[in-house]
Amino acid sequence: MTERRTVLIRYDEIGLKGRNRKYFEKCLLKNIKRALSDSDDIHYTSPRGRIFLNIPSSFEPECSIRLKAIPGVASFSIGVSMNTDLDAIAALGVQWIEPKLESLETLKFCVKTRRSEKSFPKTSPEVNFEVGSRIMTALSPRGLTVNIKEAEYVFEIEIGRTETVVFDKREPGLCGLPVGSSGNVLCLLSGGIDSPVSAFMMACRGCRVHFVFFDNQPFLGRGGYDKVLRLAKKVNHFQTRGTLYVVPFEAMQGSIRDHCNEENRIVLYRRMMYRIAEDIANRHGSIALITGESLGQVASQTLENLAAVSCVTSLSVFRPLIGMNKESIITRAKEIGTYEVSIEPQPDCCSVFMPKNPVTRSKIRFLERDEEKIPWEELRHNALAQMEVIKVDDLP
Amino acid sequence: MIYLDNAATTPMSEEVVGCVDEAMRDLFANSGTPYKIGLDAKGLIGKSAESIARNLKIPSTHRIIFTSGGTESNNLFIKGLCFPDKKTAFLGLEHPSITECLAYFSQFANEPLSLLPFQREGRLDLTSIDNLKENRIKLLCLSHVNNELGTVNDPLKIISALAKKSPQTKLFLDGVQVIGKLKVDPEMWNGLAGYSVSGHKIHGPKGIGLLVYDSKLDLNPQMHGGKQQFGVRSGTLPLPLIVGLETAIKHAVAQTEQTQNHLQSLCCYLTHGLQAMQDQIPELDIRFNSLVDVGVTRQSPGIVNFSFSPVEGEIILHHLEAKNIFVGLGSACSAKSKKPSKILMGIGLSEEQARCSLRISFSKNNTIEEIDQFLEAFGDAYQSLYPTFSQKAGHQ
Repeated sequence: MTERRTVLIRYDEIGLKGRNRKYFEKCLLKNIKRALSDSDDIHYTSPRGRIFLNIPSSFEPECSIRLKAIPGVASFSIGVSMNTDLDAIAALGVQWIEPKLESLETLKFCVKTRRSEKSFPKTSPEVNFEVGSRIMTALSPRGLTVNIKEAEYVFEIEIGRTETVVFDKREPGLCGLPVGSSGNVLCLLSGGIDSPVSAFMMACRGCRVHFVFFDNQPFLGRGGYDKVLRLAKKVNHFQTRGTLYVVPFEAMQGSIRDHCNEENRIVLYRRMMYRIAEDIANRHGSIALITGESLGQVASQTLENLAAVSCVTSLSVFRPLIGMNKESIITRAKEIGTYEVSIEPQPDCCSVFMPKNPVTRSKIRFLERDEEKIPWEELRHNALAQMEVIKVDDLP
Repeated sequence: MIYLDNAATTPMSEEVVGCVDEAMRDLFANSGTPYKIGLDAKGLIGKSAESIARNLKIPSTHRIIFTSGGTESNNLFIKGLCFPDKKTAFLGLEHPSITECLAYFSQFANEPLSLLPFQREGRLDLTSIDNLKENRIKLLCLSHVNNELGTVNDPLKIISALAKKSPQTKLFLDGVQVIGKLKVDPEMWNGLAGYSVSGHKIHGPKGIGLLVYDSKLDLNPQMHGGKQQFGVRSGTLPLPLIVGLETAIKHAVAQTEQTQNHLQSLCCYLTHGLQAMQDQIPELDIRFNSLVDVGVTRQSPGIVNFSFSPVEGEIILHHLEAKNIFVGLGSACSAKSKKPSKILMGIGLSEEQARCSLRISFSKNNTIEEIDQFLEAFGDAYQSLYPTFSQKAGHQ
């Protein structure tokens, strides 16, 4: 029984980077170390193109769960480190494959070798052949056959400079880029299905995503707030160190409702949200806004209305879901575990604030005329002054 | 905190917490096991059942089944007796655990008979009983006290009408809003096929309730397993919850008269306070949905339900919540349009009246001072919200 395991972590896109590659690698290693920081019995090495962890075998299941939630990890394998002794490697192969044959009549298998240590005297195909034939000698009477194209079981050997790792499974990672490598962004989080998915997608592009929620507790109660806290926590799980800003929005919403054209309300609310989000982003160092908008999904998400909203901010506004249909967004939300929270029944806007017929093609000059009727600079200032700032890592 | 939503649930009394806590610590044995500590547990459950029967004056013709609460009791009895093809009838103003249970029958081509055209003041008009005979109804399902309105179906009157006009129809009553609040005439058991009780509505624990039913009836179990409780409801019995329920029933029954008088004075104070408020606030127009100034044979003093168009009940609820006053709601406001209360619509309210309503429900713990504070907070919230809602009504 081996008491230590070696985890071999592969990353894809970073490998394509030129001179910045070191920066991305460092970033990924830092994120992995942070995700596993509660265990002090892990040794890290990072030869070119790979990250290796040496962990106690008892930590294997937990380690696997955590690595699957780290953007930038393309895939990983958990195996055993050993000397590059082909007899010993083949013996381990027999030990791993034998139990599988107990319940099967036949099993198609192959050996795959990768050499990063080119000074090893045998080529990869030679190692495949030698190890494979030794395993076959032992197990072909039990039904084991070699089939490189349709292998049901792949025995892999990675011969490195310092150690050789043997494993038989590849676990998929989230791929993408390590969080922190692309900078901070601020996501407008609503409590619905879409915005958590777009936040997650940006985290997978290397962004650290912070969140802003526009709340209206006097009219909607605390249900929406509680829900957004849980959603932020779920997305933050993939990145850590996100901040959630909760902005009381009832005064702004009330003022727009009481003084502006009814049909423009929703676009006006969103213009104010973008302005306040820009203030927060500038104060706290986010360089773009993220939303969950998808073209044409609701009345406020037409091309004209998106343009009428985007133009109030000089920040870049990214909408990762813009071309996705609802079904694909829902599938993604289920994968990342936010769907079940998002669908809890909780109104995101009280009916007194909703217009009967919201405008679908708003005209910016009419919106600006409406905005002249309300003291929005003052309301924006007050909302920011009352804003609650929550470190998402600290949420229970 | 002022808690005025006691029809939703009640806080556990100190005595109940004490005995549940003790039983959870000390009495862990499975009451189905043959050794000493198991037999002790079984003995205690038997004693609790006896005490409950004594306190509720349940005759030996009736059997007590412990369930997880009102919803399970209603489902177990109705489905257990009538599913899939026996004819059922209901008023249409019952709790969803009855209406949805019967709606399920419709999927099997067994449409329950709705007596909604025969509701008067939220109660069953006894003239409707002729219809039961014509339609060969096996079971009539009603609330003893309506959960939103507090209106009372008098068991003895219904029983005698059934005996005269439709003797083949059995009567099932949902009694979760009754025990401890209204005096119950033990005569009713003689004509009752089934009756449900819930622990958490009477200062007992959540997760425990009773089905009391005529033991001559054969109920098909809805939960199959170890054949506990005569095979009618399998599952290891939760001794701590049973002990808690017994204690709650004992206290509730001992104090019924006192509680009923106390609730009557609170109810009277609130309704008169609301009536008087209309003189002070000219734009306030209260419509009582529960009955005012009538005896306990028609209206439970534990529930006051009233409408106040055009301000939505849910918004008032959140404004009261901000002052730490918690009230109930039959309907919900949402831009995503949740349907308003079926019960309020069922007694003839418009959709707006149904949305613009609150349910205040008392327990023995409430005081006149709390009602004063509620009245003041309600008046303030109404006045501050009235302009918004009257404007909204104007738009439409």
